Amino acid sequence: MAMDYEPKQTTAWITGPIALSLVVFGTLPLWIESIGLYQYLGVEVLIWVIFALGYNLLLGYTGLPSFGHGAFLGIGAYAFGLAQFEVWPNLWFCLIAAFVVTGLFGAATALFLSHRRGIYFALMTIAFGQIYYFIASKWTDVTHGEDGLLNIARLPVDLGVVELPLAGNAQLYYLCFAVYAVLVLLLWRLTNSPYGRVLRAIKQNETRVAFVGYPVGLYKWSVFTLSCGIAGIAGALFAMAQEGAYINVMSLQWSGIIVLMVLIGGGFVSFWGPVFGVILYFVARDVLGAYTETWLLWFGLMFVVLVIFKPDGLAGMWHDLMRRVQPRPAPVTASKAEG
Amino acid sequence: MSKSTFTRRSFLQTSLLAGTAGGATLFGPWKHTRVHAAASDKPIRIGLTHDASGQFANSGQAERRGTEMAIAEFNEAGGVLGRRIDAVWMDTETNPQTGTRVAERMITRENVHFLVGAIQSGAANAISQVAQKYGCIYFNTNSSSPTEAGKNCHRVKFVWDGNGENFSKAAARNAIQTFGKKWFLIYNDYVWGQNTNEATKKVALNYGAEVVDEVPIPVGTRDWSSVLLRIQQANPDVVAAAVGGDDFKVMRQQVRDMKLDGKPAWINNQQDWPDIYGLGADAAFGVFGTTWYHYLDLPGVSDFVKRYQERYPTTRINVPGNVTYNGYVAMRELLRVVAEVGSTDNIKIIKALEGRVMKAADRMQHHDAVIDADSHHVQQTIYLAQGNPKPKDDTDYFQILSSSDPDSIRADAGKECKLETYADTPNYDQG
Amino acid sequence: MLLNLIPHLINGLALGLLFALLALGFMLIIGVMEVINLAHGSLFTIGAYVALAVMAPDGGLPYAFMEPYYALPAIPRYLIALVVGPLVAGAVGMGLELCLRRTYGSDPLYGLLLTFGAALVLEELIREIWGSSEYYLPVPQQISGGFIAGNLIYSTYRIYAAVFAAGMIGVLWLFLNKTPYGAVIKAGAHDSEMVRALGYNLTRLRLLVFGFGAALAGIAGVIMAPIWGIRPVVGVDAVIPAFVIIVLGGVGSFWGAVSAGIMVGLVVALTAAFLTDWSLLSMYLLLLAVVTFRSRGLAGKSSVLEA
Repeated sequence: MAMDYEPKQTTAWITGPIALSLVVFGTLPLWIESIGLYQYLGVEVLIWVIFALGYNLLLGYTGLPSFGHGAFLGIGAYAFGLAQFEVWPNLWFCLIAAFVVTGLFGAATALFLSHRRGIYFALMTIAFGQIYYFIASKWTDVTHGEDGLLNIARLPVDLGVVELPLAGNAQLYYLCFAVYAVLVLLLWRLTNSPYGRVLRAIKQNETRVAFVGYPVGLYKWSVFTLSCGIAGIAGALFAMAQEGAYINVMSLQWSGIIVLMVLIGGGFVSFWGPVFGVILYFVARDVLGAYTETWLLWFGLMFVVLVIFKPDGLAGMWHDLMRRVQPRPAPVTASKAEG
Repeated sequence: MSKSTFTRRSFLQTSLLAGTAGGATLFGPWKHTRVHAAASDKPIRIGLTHDASGQFANSGQAERRGTEMAIAEFNEAGGVLGRRIDAVWMDTETNPQTGTRVAERMITRENVHFLVGAIQSGAANAISQVAQKYGCIYFNTNSSSPTEAGKNCHRVKFVWDGNGENFSKAAARNAIQTFGKKWFLIYNDYVWGQNTNEATKKVALNYGAEVVDEVPIPVGTRDWSSVLLRIQQANPDVVAAAVGGDDFKVMRQQVRDMKLDGKPAWINNQQDWPDIYGLGADAAFGVFGTTWYHYLDLPGVSDFVKRYQERYPTTRINVPGNVTYNGYVAMRELLRVVAEVGSTDNIKIIKALEGRVMKAADRMQHHDAVIDADSHHVQQTIYLAQGNPKPKDDTDYFQILSSSDPDSIRADAGKECKLETYADTPNYDQG
Repeated sequence: MLLNLIPHLINGLALGLLFALLALGFMLIIGVMEVINLAHGSLFTIGAYVALAVMAPDGGLPYAFMEPYYALPAIPRYLIALVVGPLVAGAVGMGLELCLRRTYGSDPLYGLLLTFGAALVLEELIREIWGSSEYYLPVPQQISGGFIAGNLIYSTYRIYAAVFAAGMIGVLWLFLNKTPYGAVIKAGAHDSEMVRALGYNLTRLRLLVFGFGAALAGIAGVIMAPIWGIRPVVGVDAVIPAFVIIVLGGVGSFWGAVSAGIMVGLVVALTAAFLTDWSLLSMYLLLLAVVTFRSRGLAGKSSVLEA
C-alpha cells in the first residue's frame, strides 16, 4: 500500500520533529500577537491538536474512521464541569475525572464497535455520536442543553507549595502545552511500540493479523478507549478555555470536521498530520473568516482538491518536498527522519 | 498593531511567569495606566457578533443591517464625541464555541470598545461570559431566552429583545378569553422551549385553562405529522407552541399543508420577521408575539422604513422587521449613551444604561421602555399579531391585534438574575 | 385505543415510503460504486431549489426574462420541475463522479471524505445563489391542502408523495431487474471486473450510475420540499436517515433498503405519537438493536466496504 507511515520503528524518546514542535509551541505566546493572531486562538489550536493526536490513533494508525468522535470531546467537557461543581474543584482531580469518565464511555461504546470494520464501523460511530448528542440535548438537568453548562472555572494549578492561576489565556495555554508535551512523548512511544505495530498491521490487513493470532478485537477496543480518554482531556481543557461546556461540538458536523482536519494535515501518512491539519484549519478559518463570509466554500474547495490530488495531505506534500530537495539516501538510514 | 490598551483584570497581575526575564514583558504585570492622549481622533470600534452561518444565519444578517444602519446614520451626522465609528464584523456561526473565540478576538486583537449582536442564546451567553471577564459591554440584540436576562445575566450584558416569557404572558391572557379553555401544549425539548412552556402553562392555568396534554418535541424534529394527528385526536381549543428555529419552520410548513391552521387556534410564542419574509401572509399562522412591525400606526415608522430601503435597496427582505429593528434601536441607544457620558468607560456607560427610560415615540412603540436595572432586560411593548386577512401590499403579513405594556407582562425570570458587582466587573476602556 | 392507532400506522407507512425514496439513490451509489456519497443531501437540496426556480417566480430565475413562462398553469410547471430537478442534480452528480475517479482503488474512506467536502462546497454555493432564507415550494392545487377522513384532517400532499414514492420504488425495481441496463448495473455491484470482461465500458457505467443515483436524490428533493420546506441546510435532514436506512437494510440490498425505510417510518411515526421526546432517538436505537444482532443489517451481503 502506497499510503502509509514509514515502516521502521524508532526507539528514541525525543526526535527532531518532537523537539521542534516543543520549541514552536513552547514559545508561541511570545510571538503569536506579533503575527496578527491572539492568545485564545493558540489555546484553541493546542486543545484541538491534543484531540486530533488522540483521534489519529484510531483513524491514521488503526484505520478506524470514527464519525462520532466529537461526542467524546463534549462528554469530557461535561465531565470536567460536573466533577468541578459536584465533587471536588481541584484541577488534577477534575482532569483525571474527565479522562476516566470519557474513557469509560468510550470503553462501553467500543464493545459495540470492536468487531466492526471499515464503513460499518463509520456508520455505527455516527449512530453512537447522534445518540450521545441527543441525550446531552435532552438531559437538561445535567447538561443544561443548548444553554450549556456554564461558569466552569479555570481551576488553578495546585502544586502543593504554590498555586498558579490559569485565568489568563496565556497561562491556560501553558497548561495545555504541558499536557501536549506529555501526550506527544507518550503517543510517540506508543505508536513505535509493538502495540503500535499491531495497530498499523490491523490497518493494513485485519484478517491477516487475526490469523497470526493477535486478539484484534481487544486491540481495537483498547485503542478506541484510549482515544476517547484523550478526547476527554481535550474536552476538559476546552471547558476551561470556554469557561463552559456546550453541546455543539458533539454534533455530526463537528465530528466530521475533526476527520477533515486530520486528513487534510496528512494523518494517514504521518504522526504529525493532525498537528498540521488543526493549525491549517483554525488559522484559515480565522484569517479567511475575517475577509469573506463564504470562507467555508473556499476551505471546502481546498479540501476537495487536496483529496483528489494529494490525499496524503500536507504531511504528504512535505515528504515529497523533502524527497525532491534531498534525494533519498539508502533506506537503512532513512527511517530516522520519520514525520 | 496596538497591544492591549485596556486595563486588564487584576488577576492578570499575578502572573505565571512574572519575574522570569523573558516572560516579563508578555505576562505582565499589566500596570500600564495608559493615557490616551490621541483618543479624540481614534475611531470608536464596535464589534458586531452577528451570525452569518448556522441555524440563524438569516436573522443574524437581518440584525446586522439594523446595527450597521444606526452606525452609518451616526457617522453621517459627524460620529460620536467627534470620533468616527468603525464596525468590525465576524461570523459567530450560531455556535457558542465560535462565539467565545470571536469575542476573545474582538477584545484582545481588534480592541473593540463594545460588542453587539446575538440571536441564539447559547452563542449570546458564551460571548457575554468573555465580555464579562474583560469588562467589555455587550448588547444581546435578539436572543429571547428568558435565561439571558435571568440566571445567565451579567453586569456587562444588556438584553434588547422581549423574552419567551413576555411573549407567552402577552399571548396566553388574550387567547383564553378568545379561543377557549382546552389547551394542548407543545414545546421544543431544550432550555428555551422548556422555560417558555412553563411560563405559558402558568399563565394559562392562572386564567382557568385546562391543559389536555403537554408534549416535548426533540430539537431537530423534521416530521410533525404524528404530533399533528395526536393534536387532532385530543381536539383542543388552543395549541400553544414554544417551538423555535428550523423546527418551527418545518412545523409551520406541515401545519399549513394539512390546513390545520384554523381550528384549533395556534399560539406561537414569537415570529421573527426574517423567518417568515417571502413566504406570504398565510404563512403567519396562529397568534404570535413581536416587538415591532413596519405598519405600526406610529409617527416615525414609515420614515424608518424609507431610510432602511434607501440604505438596502437590493436586499431580499425589503422592509425592516423586528430583528432589524432591535439591532437598530440597541445600537442607537449605545451610541447616544456614549455621547451623553462623554467617554467609552464601561462602568460609566453601564450606570447610564441601568434604569434608563426610552420614550415610546422615540422607539416607535406604544409604551415607554425601560432598561431594568436589576436584570438589564429592556422592558418593552409586546404586540400580539396574526396573519393578515386583508394585506394592503405584499409585505403586509401581520395584523396587529393588541399591545401589552411592559409591566403587565414582566418576566419572572429576571428575579433569578444576580448581576456581578461593579467592583467585580473589570474596568474596560479601549480609549 | 386501537382505533386511535390506525391513523398513526398509515402515517408511518407514508413516512416510510418517503424515507425509502430518500435512500434509493444513496443505496444505488453505495451498492455499485462502493462510495458513501455524503453529498447525497446536497444533491437532494439542489433538486428542491431547482424545483423552486421552476415553480416560483421569486425562486431564483430572472423574472423579467421568464415572465411568459410563469404564466403557464401550475401543473405543467410542476411536471417540468419533476424532470428538471433530477436532471440538474444528476448532472452535478456526474461532475462529482469525475472528481471521484482518482480515489477509486484506494481506501473507500477517501470517497467518503471527498463527498463530505463536496457537500460543504455545494451548500455554500446554494447559499450564495439563493441566500439563507426559507422558501416554500408551491404545488398544484390538486395535490395540496388537506382532506377529511373520519374526524381527522390529513394532508393530501402526503398521500400523493407516498404514492409517488411507491411508484418510483416499483419503477426502479423493474428497471434494475427487467431491463438489460439494470442487469449490467447489478453486475457492476456484484463484480466490476466481470462487467469489464463482458465488454462494457466500466468508466461510463460508473458515470451513469452516479448520475442516476444523484438524480434520484434530486427527485426526492422535489418531492420532500413541500413537506420540509427549502433551506440551504435541508440536505443534512436527508442524508442522515438515508444513512441509517442503508445500514439497517444492509448495504447492496434493494428490498432491504425499502423495508428498512418503512420500518424507520413506522418507528418514527409511532414514537412521535406516543413517546414524542424519544422520536428522534428511536431511529438510532432501532439501528443499534438490529445491527447488534445482525451485523450486516437486515439483508446485507459482505462487501469490500468492510475491509
